[in-house]
Amino acid sequence: MIDSNSKSNYSKYATIALITGLVFVFISWYGMYQGILLHEKRNLLGYLIGLGFWTSIIIGMLFMTLLFYIFKAKWPIIIRRQLEHGLSAFPVLFLLSLPIVCIAKLAPDYAGVVWKWMDPGYVMPTPDGLKVGDDTLYQAKSVFLNVDFFIARTCIYFLLFFVVSYILRTCSFRMDQDGDSKWSSIGIKTSAGTIFFVALATTFLAFDWFKSLEFHWFSTMYGVWFFAASMRAALSVTIIICFFLATKGYLKGIFGRGHLYDLACMMLTFTIFWTYISFSQYFLIYTANIPEETFWYVIREINPITGKFNSWFWVSMGLIFLHFFAPFFMLLRYKNKVTMPNTVFIACWILTFHILDLYWNILPGKKAADNVLGYVVRELNISLYDVTSLIGIGLICMFAFFRSMNKAEAIPIRDPRILASVNHHE
Amino acid sequence: MSEKKYGIIASFQTTPDVFHASEKVRDAGFLYWDAFTPFPVHGLEHAMGQKRSKVPCFTLIGGLSGFVTGLIIVWYMNAHDYPLIVGGKPYFSPIFPFPVFYELTILLAAFGTLGGMFLTNLLPRYNHPLFDYKDFHKSGDDTFMIVIESRDPKFDEDRTAEFMAELGGSDITVITAKE
Repeated sequence: MIDSNSKSNYSKYATIALITGLVFVFISWYGMYQGILLHEKRNLLGYLIGLGFWTSIIIGMLFMTLLFYIFKAKWPIIIRRQLEHGLSAFPVLFLLSLPIVCIAKLAPDYAGVVWKWMDPGYVMPTPDGLKVGDDTLYQAKSVFLNVDFFIARTCIYFLLFFVVSYILRTCSFRMDQDGDSKWSSIGIKTSAGTIFFVALATTFLAFDWFKSLEFHWFSTMYGVWFFAASMRAALSVTIIICFFLATKGYLKGIFGRGHLYDLACMMLTFTIFWTYISFSQYFLIYTANIPEETFWYVIREINPITGKFNSWFWVSMGLIFLHFFAPFFMLLRYKNKVTMPNTVFIACWILTFHILDLYWNILPGKKAADNVLGYVVRELNISLYDVTSLIGIGLICMFAFFRSMNKAEAIPIRDPRILASVNHHE
Repeated sequence: MSEKKYGIIASFQTTPDVFHASEKVRDAGFLYWDAFTPFPVHGLEHAMGQKRSKVPCFTLIGGLSGFVTGLIIVWYMNAHDYPLIVGGKPYFSPIFPFPVFYELTILLAAFGTLGGMFLTNLLPRYNHPLFDYKDFHKSGDDTFMIVIESRDPKFDEDRTAEFMAELGGSDITVITAKE
């Protein structure tokens, strides 16, 4: 049982996280306001990175919960409760996404500041100065890519995420009170019935938020990339949460070597899966060699005027060697999967490079310039507003997590299979 | 046909019995011994003090050699022996022929795993001395067994048999191996 004393502790943490988080988020919003005034896209992209990072983590947690239910997994029942706390962050993430998703409504004079296609009058960075509204590809895609539908879609995704997570949380929390096993079967049915739609929503969220930054581009693998990256990030965060709870919190003596080993194995799996998807996307575009698709990778490798490598080339190499090979070989070793400090180190490593992966996907873009091509590629740089967005949105997600911790037991004590989870061996 | 002692076998009736007996055999410092259970017992490998399996090493070696084989195949055929431009791609590149490297990595890693399993288990073999023990089939039904082999440096027929009796083992039998 959580006694009243520890409950008040979590409320204290929740309040601190909310207040500091709001301070950071206000700084980011100020940055966005400046960006709109100065017609500088960079500050707003920083907010999108912060938002994308935490959204990917919470979506990954939702997928993990769904998978645990669908496979009737016994071992992660004590971990599932921690994921359910994370799921309570969907409403706050939705609120935090509104300023950037509704940017075309909030700043009608400069509607194309983040997503160029939102402003039909936006002059694209090409030598002939074509406007978005006159662009053939935009006209063909405008049924899908228009501001009202875009905002409505984001609302639909988050409504779906919220409803699914609300049902799963309710099932799990109600079972603590009455111990009725029907909640377990409702959870399984809900998961099996909704995972398809959650996957679709995740795919289209990635298309909307990140892929449509370059609305000329085509890639059907993009949604799967986002799913794979989300799972990696969510597993890393889960391991870090369990580390804190097992050393200082209520999972002491419950979260053991077996749980850590299985989570780390999943982390290895999704490290390979992320690479498989990221490479396949590159491989298909490289092999097909169509300019409509290759330009996306070209601006991430060379400066098209000089033909020399730009900063994104080194980021790309960093992703290959440090986001895949390094964690892959670290996680192959058995000892690194069962020793808490080693696994937590790898989890932090993966999270760091997940942020770099988001930078690599979001930041490079064509900036209007006075040269033969009409554009230069935005280079890698880290702005203050990236940091404030990452910290601020993270703290507000932590606020949701701490607030949810007050509402339920530490582990699902009346789940019929809880003992199998507590006594889990490798 | 000479006969040689293979080891001493003892039977146990419950899982905790064989589990705690295994811990004691491990602590007594025996190296060549084994436990037989009708079903998997979680944590028995720790109670027996067993080290991690060596099979992953074979898998890694298999996987790496598969990857290198793929590289060499593509480089030799496409860039060295008969340079050929396909689809406007370079003669040799790690990208377009990657499925070849990747499939060979998986194939040889799987072969490495299978071969490594056979090697570390000393398989295949035609017979095992334990099959001569008339009650050995019970270890697949309702009885747990521990056998200490005679090649263990600490093995002594009388003292080991006494030790097994102390552990709570019943039906203590000396197994002979026909050679």
